[in-house]
Amino acid sequence: MRRWFWWFLLVPQGFLLVGLLEDLGLPPLDMAVLSSLYLSWFAQRSALPFLLLGVAIGRTLVDEATLPIHILVTGIPIALLLPLRTMFVAQRWLWQAVAAALLAIAIPKLSGLFGRAFDQPSVSSILNGWQVVWSALLIPPLLSVLRFLPPFVGFTESADQKKVVAR
Amino acid sequence: MVKKSAAFPAGLYAMLLFALAWLTLPRVFAPLERWLVGSACVLPRVGSVWMGEPAMAGNREELALISGLSAELRERVERHDLAGSGIMMPRGDKSVLCGVLSVGRRGGGGEPSELLLDHTYAELGDYREIVTKGSALLGFLLEPGVGRAADDKADDPARVILCNHRDAPRLYAGLDNNDGTQLRFVVEPAASVDPAALRVDFWDDPYRASNLRESQQRVYTLPVAFGRERVPGGLLVGRTRRWGYEQDNGDETLTIGMFVTPAVAPRALSHVVVWQSGQHPALPIEFQSSLRARRRIKATVYDLPGATHGRHMLVANEDVPDGAAVVQDGLFLGSARGLCLGSALVTSFAASRQDWSLLFLPPEGEGDPVELHGSVVRTEGNVAWLRWTGPSREQLARLGEGFLFTGSNGKFCPACLWIGRAVPDQFERNLLKVIVPVLKGPRIAEVIVAERDV
Repeated sequence: MRRWFWWFLLVPQGFLLVGLLEDLGLPPLDMAVLSSLYLSWFAQRSALPFLLLGVAIGRTLVDEATLPIHILVTGIPIALLLPLRTMFVAQRWLWQAVAAALLAIAIPKLSGLFGRAFDQPSVSSILNGWQVVWSALLIPPLLSVLRFLPPFVGFTESADQKKVVAR
Repeated sequence: MVKKSAAFPAGLYAMLLFALAWLTLPRVFAPLERWLVGSACVLPRVGSVWMGEPAMAGNREELALISGLSAELRERVERHDLAGSGIMMPRGDKSVLCGVLSVGRRGGGGEPSELLLDHTYAELGDYREIVTKGSALLGFLLEPGVGRAADDKADDPARVILCNHRDAPRLYAGLDNNDGTQLRFVVEPAASVDPAALRVDFWDDPYRASNLRESQQRVYTLPVAFGRERVPGGLLVGRTRRWGYEQDNGDETLTIGMFVTPAVAPRALSHVVVWQSGQHPALPIEFQSSLRARRRIKATVYDLPGATHGRHMLVANEDVPDGAAVVQDGLFLGSARGLCLGSALVTSFAASRQDWSLLFLPPEGEGDPVELHGSVVRTEGNVAWLRWTGPSREQLARLGEGFLFTGSNGKFCPACLWIGRAVPDQFERNLLKVIVPVLKGPRIAEVIVAERDV
């Protein structure tokens, strides 16, 4: 229960923190890309729906679209990347960088698509080339650290769990 | 079994399906969203205690300018919309300026064809059917409980069908040709896939009509009665738009149809004029209707971390409705999304990407206020570029530097709130460069909310 408390307390604030760091001059990163990659390839599958909810709530703080739009925008790439987890058991950084870049492209595009479809356009639908580059470069090393820190560590899939699924 | 459930993330798919259901029934799930997102705002709200004392608005001169401009805009909108030339209504009829709450229902030309007004049927009393704006005919006011308004009651917002609505009556209209003769015809709503909202049918002289070589000619109503109502003559319906094939030699186009573009783009409409019959006076119109929410509550606006992106948190003593305008001494700060416990998230105008109904106020003596519709496409610092539609070519050619105000954007975001200075982009005329004042730090503002239940 405690791990859920920390997830819902800290992850939404992570979106604000990333904005603050960007204001301070750090490279532009999308917290949604980082969390989506973590959820796709590292998080426990059984916990995914509510982990996704926490990420979507965080994105609602920084983007004008409504919560269900953010569930779809972050949830669909996760659902697509999730089956690839078994193929990339080694979780090499190269694949993580490729996946992060793909997510940094897919998430704004999906924001634009759902924004048009449900009449909720938002500023995050604009693709930022630098964000794609920085996501590919920074997210794999960041995840290698973050997944062993709270609140991520409570949901990181253990090696045993991975084997059960991979078998 | 364990392996199967682990490989197939049913929970994730269920959450995605749930999100789709949420989008389909937004009102059902709105309280859930208010609480979930509102809970995430508790931490920034606690942190806001250390953000310093909220400031009042800027210097007195700016405030006086904003207040003066808002009053001038109201006065010029009324002058333009109410005092249209060429309208011959029965003696004693009274014109009432109504705000537009919403536009909807796709009609001819793919444009919206229905309006909901900020006055109820009961408030308007014994009204005429036609709805105008200046000297232009816009549409027809419905009767509650009849036809398209079958489900409406007398205390519901009055519903207007525009001329491009499929149930709108055909109009008897004409245009003055260059040779001084008049061509008469019937105008009817176009199909939703047609290139304009109205199309011309039944020319009085098809031979002369086939020789028309010009577009953008003014189309006026000719007097006609239908049922117990009548449409007076001389009202501007719109401008012609010739539709056809380009010829290979580039000389003439082969005309296959004549369409009429409405005088005012439906999406840009902020105000319309309804005519009350002089025979049976209605309730005094200043009677406070809940449709025209004007109650303002005090609130404090805080910048969220990373607020250069235009997101703010608002703390008030009451629940804030979705879409409520946040105003600081007449200056429009943005629109709010209400959360639990009196908090709300505010998106500034420059950071928003939603469609806005807007009013452009040229300097005095340089024309009437222009209603337009648009959305911000780009922002750099305190400058937003707005892609706009609505003004006619004549209006567009005259536009210079001016001031941008909100139009009617729903019940809680009324017209005439100052946004910033605006000037058409010198390279792309359908882009408007809007310079928005930048305010940083916590500030005291007001939110427009519903009237209290008595």
